[in-house]
Amino acid sequence: MDLETSKSTRARPSRRGPRALPPMPSQDTGDEMPLAKTKKKKYKKEADGVEEPGMEMGGVGSRRQSESREPLTPEPQDIPPQKKKKKKKLQTPELGAYQEEDPAGQPELVNGDGGEQHTDGEEVTRKTKKKKKSKTPEMHYANELSVEDDDIVTDVQPPIPQHSLFSAPLGHSQPVGKVFVERNKRFQAADRLDLGKPSDQVDDFMEVKPLWSTRDVAMRVHSGFRVIGLFSHGFLAGYAVWNIIVVYVLAGDQLSNLPNLLQQYHSLAYPAQSLLYLLLSISTVSAFDRVNLAKASMALRGFLTLDPAALASFLYFAALILSLSQQMTSDRIHLYPSANETLWPPGSEHQILQPWIVVNLVVALFVGLAWVFISTRPEMDYTEEFLMAMEVEEYPRLDDKAEIPA
Amino acid sequence: MLQTNNYSLVLLIQLALLTYDLFVNSFSELLRAAPVVQLVLFIIQDIAILFNVIIILLMLFNTYVFQVGLVSVLLERFRALLLLSALYLALSIALHCWILNLRWLNSNRFVWTDGLQTFFVFQRLAAVLYYYLYKRATEYLGDPRLYEDSPWLRDAFVRARQ
Repeated sequence: MDLETSKSTRARPSRRGPRALPPMPSQDTGDEMPLAKTKKKKYKKEADGVEEPGMEMGGVGSRRQSESREPLTPEPQDIPPQKKKKKKKLQTPELGAYQEEDPAGQPELVNGDGGEQHTDGEEVTRKTKKKKKSKTPEMHYANELSVEDDDIVTDVQPPIPQHSLFSAPLGHSQPVGKVFVERNKRFQAADRLDLGKPSDQVDDFMEVKPLWSTRDVAMRVHSGFRVIGLFSHGFLAGYAVWNIIVVYVLAGDQLSNLPNLLQQYHSLAYPAQSLLYLLLSISTVSAFDRVNLAKASMALRGFLTLDPAALASFLYFAALILSLSQQMTSDRIHLYPSANETLWPPGSEHQILQPWIVVNLVVALFVGLAWVFISTRPEMDYTEEFLMAMEVEEYPRLDDKAEIPA
Repeated sequence: MLQTNNYSLVLLIQLALLTYDLFVNSFSELLRAAPVVQLVLFIIQDIAILFNVIIILLMLFNTYVFQVGLVSVLLERFRALLLLSALYLALSIALHCWILNLRWLNSNRFVWTDGLQTFFVFQRLAAVLYYYLYKRATEYLGDPRLYEDSPWLRDAFVRARQ
């Protein structure tokens, strides 16, 4: 009897245990909630009953389960549920007899916690074993179906509160071979080992998928502009030479026929100036691109080593300045027909036009020379190399930069 | 991460605005028959420069480098462009105002003075440098490293914190 009372006293906390965790079953759907609650409690009781001597409650619980779910079985119908409730409250020693059926009714569960069972009183275990032998054949059929139900409902939830309540979690995160990965809006099981491979494949896929990266687009634009620039270099050189030849031809021998030049050329002067600026702009930008002017160190090194691209960009820039400085004179030539004496005083043609012709000649020479320089190495483009090397060389280069001030 | 299509579109817009700018700089003197035509061309040109500056600033703000706070890294590379763009915009507006003011009543008269000529040369030279730096910056902003985490960026971040 002492043993029995100790069982009953120990059983109480186990009964309170599940009540202390009401929110847990609320994770289930509303329909299953009450069922899950009761089953969970039952399981709790069973588990406690197995672990500790207070097995009566577990026994009753299991019997109740078998009764409620399998009315066809002969044995559990002996005891009406009202009686069980009374016994539950009182926890009389009679329950021991019912409880003894429990291990037979739940063979799997008992076997699972069998080690703990042996720690309790030996008498109880012997009794249960004896009874087991007698009642197992009958209860086996009775509980075969119920075991499955129990597995479905109680397998997942009860162990969690048990551990969290009474003991520190021991090795919860055991590595499982299967991992569930969401694919095509469905979670599919995948091996943990295989998980690394698909990610690599995805990375490869991501790298391959965009046919053109932004860097490729930039490179294409750059090389496209280089083609335009190459055309512009040649066209500008030819145009400048043609322009100066026309001017000299119209001006006559030793610039003796300047009024003729003004008469013939005045309509061409301003468009020629505009076209010259357009071509010079494109050529200058293209030459700057080739020498990578924005990188001062590279540009300076190019100038010091008399790099063709550096010389060409210098010549183009000088030609641009000279050409722009003649804007005023070009406009004056352009306005020659409608000019009054203040704009074109008689006899001032030579004084005004000679510097203009000389500057145009120098521009033509510079432009032609620059085109020769460019055409010696038309494939050279430091900016393109710089863009190409963005990923590889920039990192150490920046490092060096940072280390110098430090 | 910057999408290639978006980058291509932005690049196209930028280059179109640059082309328009170059066109107006080259041929605006020929299209001065009516002062209103020049006025409209100049207004669109100045707005185009402003748009280009705004676009390049937005692209800079869009970079991962900017978003992690390494503005100095970006400024180090694009300072010249930003300064020159501002200078070019100021020069352009000033020159346009000056020329239009002189030619508003009589568009086909000789308006050049030494001051205007000098100003004109500086504005056109600034334009060429602006084209070069802007084109280079737009190409440089296609660098994928500016839009993602990388050892280079982490190193720059560590150096910036020191």
